[in-house]
Amino acid sequence: MTNIQLSQDPYNLIIAGVGGQGNVLASRVVGNMLSRKGLTVTIGETFGGTQRGGSVMSHLRISSGSAFSPLIPRGKADMIIGLEPTDTLRVLGTYGNPDVKTICNMRPIHPVQVISGEPSYPDLEDAKNWIRELSRDAWFLDATDVAMEMGAAILGNIILIGALAGLNELPLDREDFENAIGLTFSGEKVQVNLAAYDKGIEMIARNGR
Amino acid sequence: MQVYGSKELVEDVLNKDLCIGCGACVDLCPYFKTYKGKTAMIFPCTVQQGRCHAYCPKTESDLTELSMSLFGKPYDGSPMGHHEKILIARAGDKVHPAPFQAGGAVSALVTFAMKNGMVDAAVLTGRTGLIPYAELVTESESVARFTTSKYMAAPTLSAFNQGVKQGFQKIGVVGTPCQMTALAQMSINPLHTENFKDSVALKIGLFCTWALDTRKLAAYLSSRLDITGIKAMDIPPPPAEILVLDMGGKTIEIPLSEIRPLVPRTCLLCPDMTSEWADVSVGVLEGEPKFNTLIIRTRTGQDLVDKAVAQGFLTIREMPAVNLDHLSAAASNKKKRALAGAMEEGLLNTAENGKRAMMRIEKAVVERILA
Amino acid sequence: MSILTNGEPGKRYLLMGNEAIARGALEAGVSVCAGYPGTPSSEIIESLSKVAGNRNLYVEWSTNEKVSMEVAAAASFAGLRAMCPMKQNGVNVGSDFLLHLALSGTRGGMVIVPCDDPGALSSINEGESRQFARLLEVPLLEPGDFQEAKGITRWAFELSEELHSMVFVRSVTRLSHASGNVEFGELPQVNPKAGFKHDGFILDEMEGIITSAPVDYKHGLQHAKLKKAVERFENSPFNTYQGPEHPELILVTSSACNFYCREAIGLLDAGDRVGLLKLATTWPLPPKLIEKYLSMTDRFFVVEEVIPFTEENLKILAQEMAPRIGIKTIMGKRDGKLPMVGELNPDIVTQALAGLLGLEYKPQPDDYVQRSREIVTRAPNRELTFCPGCPHRASFWTINNVLKMDNRQGFVCGDIGCYTLSTLPTGFSASKTLHAMGSGTGVASGFGKLKQFGMDQPVLSVCGDSTFFASALPALFNAVHNQSDITMVLLDNSGTAMTGFQTHPGLKTGAMGQEVPAISIEAVCRSIGAKVKISDPFDIESTRNALFELLEENGVNVLILKQICTLSPEKKAKKKFEVRVMAEKCLGESCGCGRLCTRIFRCPGLIWNKDKGKAEINDVICIGCGVCGSICPNAAIEKKEVA
Repeated sequence: MTNIQLSQDPYNLIIAGVGGQGNVLASRVVGNMLSRKGLTVTIGETFGGTQRGGSVMSHLRISSGSAFSPLIPRGKADMIIGLEPTDTLRVLGTYGNPDVKTICNMRPIHPVQVISGEPSYPDLEDAKNWIRELSRDAWFLDATDVAMEMGAAILGNIILIGALAGLNELPLDREDFENAIGLTFSGEKVQVNLAAYDKGIEMIARNGR
Repeated sequence: MQVYGSKELVEDVLNKDLCIGCGACVDLCPYFKTYKGKTAMIFPCTVQQGRCHAYCPKTESDLTELSMSLFGKPYDGSPMGHHEKILIARAGDKVHPAPFQAGGAVSALVTFAMKNGMVDAAVLTGRTGLIPYAELVTESESVARFTTSKYMAAPTLSAFNQGVKQGFQKIGVVGTPCQMTALAQMSINPLHTENFKDSVALKIGLFCTWALDTRKLAAYLSSRLDITGIKAMDIPPPPAEILVLDMGGKTIEIPLSEIRPLVPRTCLLCPDMTSEWADVSVGVLEGEPKFNTLIIRTRTGQDLVDKAVAQGFLTIREMPAVNLDHLSAAASNKKKRALAGAMEEGLLNTAENGKRAMMRIEKAVVERILA
Repeated sequence: MSILTNGEPGKRYLLMGNEAIARGALEAGVSVCAGYPGTPSSEIIESLSKVAGNRNLYVEWSTNEKVSMEVAAAASFAGLRAMCPMKQNGVNVGSDFLLHLALSGTRGGMVIVPCDDPGALSSINEGESRQFARLLEVPLLEPGDFQEAKGITRWAFELSEELHSMVFVRSVTRLSHASGNVEFGELPQVNPKAGFKHDGFILDEMEGIITSAPVDYKHGLQHAKLKKAVERFENSPFNTYQGPEHPELILVTSSACNFYCREAIGLLDAGDRVGLLKLATTWPLPPKLIEKYLSMTDRFFVVEEVIPFTEENLKILAQEMAPRIGIKTIMGKRDGKLPMVGELNPDIVTQALAGLLGLEYKPQPDDYVQRSREIVTRAPNRELTFCPGCPHRASFWTINNVLKMDNRQGFVCGDIGCYTLSTLPTGFSASKTLHAMGSGTGVASGFGKLKQFGMDQPVLSVCGDSTFFASALPALFNAVHNQSDITMVLLDNSGTAMTGFQTHPGLKTGAMGQEVPAISIEAVCRSIGAKVKISDPFDIESTRNALFELLEENGVNVLILKQICTLSPEKKAKKKFEVRVMAEKCLGESCGCGRLCTRIFRCPGLIWNKDKGKAEINDVICIGCGVCGSICPNAAIEKKEVA
């Protein structure tokens, strides 16, 4: 197994977003990185129509001991990575607690009701304040914008993994990332993903962008 | 006239089985559609005050308001409505002969109005099999395709709405009393739209005692004969009491008593036999199958008839007094029946409790009609 | 290149539960795997199909679950190890075959893997396959974590082969679709030779004929097999107990609920008060093992999904043992301590356990709960919708419009696939009945015979291309033969789109990527005498006309609406049209439009710009199908063909 001492055991990480944002891949990559370190990782997914505009959430339970439930108990998240602001809020409501930390990508994805002009999407500054209010620490990144500058919006998820690594809360290192991303991609795509990972570390070091 | 939206139109007309399928609400928007003589709302619309409701002849049509606006005087409930003159007429020599229902006066007037430039398009009603359809006609040569009566509720005004959308500004319409009512409501700008332009240049109204439900008639006839063989239909004036089907070579007669159950209930609540809101109304003439009755109501109507006669499109004569009496009695009967029925159902004049009616007539006028 | 075959024995890998099951089968030397796609089971076959080439495996997507069982059983009859994974509904589909297979017996190891979906996360029922094990009288195993998913699958093959009976390995969504660490064992070098022996003594299980008759003999044999299974179960290392020797209470659990129980005990710090008996061999329960634990204390709390299956079986045993061990209190679902419906989770189990132990459990501070509740109401919910440019949206648009215009209260009998969403606003709520695969057409076939009782509503059914082959065909044949009046709308998007584009008999590629003959839906329908029309659902006008025409026809009509799924890997996201809204022509909320595109059609590629009062196109999301351009009442949406 491993001698790694985690700040919390199990350490509970949630990656939340909307179907199509690369949430499942991100959780698998983080899981594989930590698994390589000898940690025991359990990943659960909750989805409501992953490819159909629904909310998607991955729960990662990270432990130096045994496997935990694929569902994190209410109020027990240690870290929330939100790929979308309002989904981040929803996850905080259920799994947050006064000690939770949050990294949030600030690119909104409007639900179909908002698109169709019924309820309105909250103001992004309000959303930031609410996330701060419900978290001990919160970092806000324009990951999708940067990802689009890098060539593909989908890289936003990898930027956020880089950001998580940059916080040094978990034993995430670049070599493990390269290895884990190599399970899914090869060649040039690995390089693009590495660049996004590095970008995330850089962005979080500047405390968001 | 209080204007609501599609929600109220559905509640007050479609759901109460008062819709005749005239087409006034069709092709204004994506929501009301017509198919085989029936009008349906395919999705809900949230517009609070809509043209669909404003134009519908079965929402609370305010006959006094219409009369004031069209004729400059209140609605008085006289059997044949406001009119300048009643004549008999038939198509003149300038009109190509066609299988006319009676004297061919309608075809003559439409053809003339188009040639003369009085209208730039005409809305007419045709028939495919037993399904009536509306068409916007821009060539006077096409008019002959639309002769003979249909006796079925038809979505004629959908073609008018299409014509407006296409930018026609002088449209002539041939239609039934309910359709004339809708057109009259359109022309009074019920929604008080800015830069309102009335595109109705000519309203030729048809006499109508009732129409037949398209689908019920089709079902009734197709269970008895091959409906594709029907060339023309005729309901000769009383006392014949038959529907005559021209099957090309032979005719089939069906007693009206069998046909009457196919009349939509909304026709039995209609007080108008002679298209009182038209510029000129046209009907058959009792005892003279090759002539029409002509009721001239407006200056537009008078002007059209005068010019058509002058240029050989129409021949006119005085109406014999006995015919006039019969016509008046029939029109009066329809009014009485309709008003009595509407009162019984609470469809005459919106009540204080807010229950919405289908027509509004001054109390004194109602009393006079029913007297 | 898959970890499933490249991973090194003795090392741990992060695997999805379904992959762990697949690895277990590989470690058991499985030769044939057949199934029908269905969440949460599909990845078992998908992951095996990727390694089929280098493991001499035969993997197929069968037309439906029953056929897949028959295919797998044939392999078993020929001496091979065979596996048949499916979602819970699949067991229902194949149960007729299984009831006979239980008596006929098997030869090579035959493992049925039903993946149940407690909470119906991706289903429209939460049926239980465990009931079937009891009904069929076959052994049932339930893995309690990822390592066991692999280990128990492997063991199931050995057990099946020893008993000459199929064995059930039951998974659930939270195991199949979750991931955890799995230590690999060795992959055997297998090179089995298949052959079917059938001319031995008629009752010889290995060499005679394979049949369920004579029934009394075979049924007796099956009971003998079950007895043997129970003997193995008494000593199975997969049944575990953790906790004090004299606990106040023992939690009895299986499957994913094992996780929730462990979590609950941890959260309540109750490890010295309660024990946890995790059972892997849940039917038949091994009585000696049960008696041992029932004797340890007086109170038991059974935690399981969905029905009180183990609870009831345990109560039967406890009653039988009562003269020896005394009366026990067995709690769970029947007494309302746990809900009878829906999936469980750590919170439900923790709260229930806290109640039993007289503890209070508060997951979040009160003020945090209150404030977060206020805030979360500001986040608009995400409702389920067809994808941008989904052909189903266009199809149901036309179906709805035609039925409404037709004005005879026509309706659609719905079916299973993405288009199940047509019961919701995204499909204009067109579908009015919804049951099993293929049931739409079967139910329609019945409705279509009710004219003699005065029913004159037009009857439609919808059916996807995969569903057509899986189970709509018998219903369609029924409708033709019995002269029902229906119109089946075949939503052909060229793949089993809902579960991830698995192949089906209408396609040219097999599960392992090989080229296979494709069966033409059109030709099948024509050959049975149905009137067939084909249209592109994106062509609204011709689709509408085709449907109107068919509604006039008596008998069975089929309208094939052919347009490839937007997400299909074959589609490669190429836009057909560049679409834009000409703001000056957009009527917006005014009379004549009332926001038709964004209020009713509601493709996510369209945006309502409140400030401008105009519709817009979201270029990032729009896939360029151009349908919104056809429906705009004022021709304000321009579509330009992309060169």
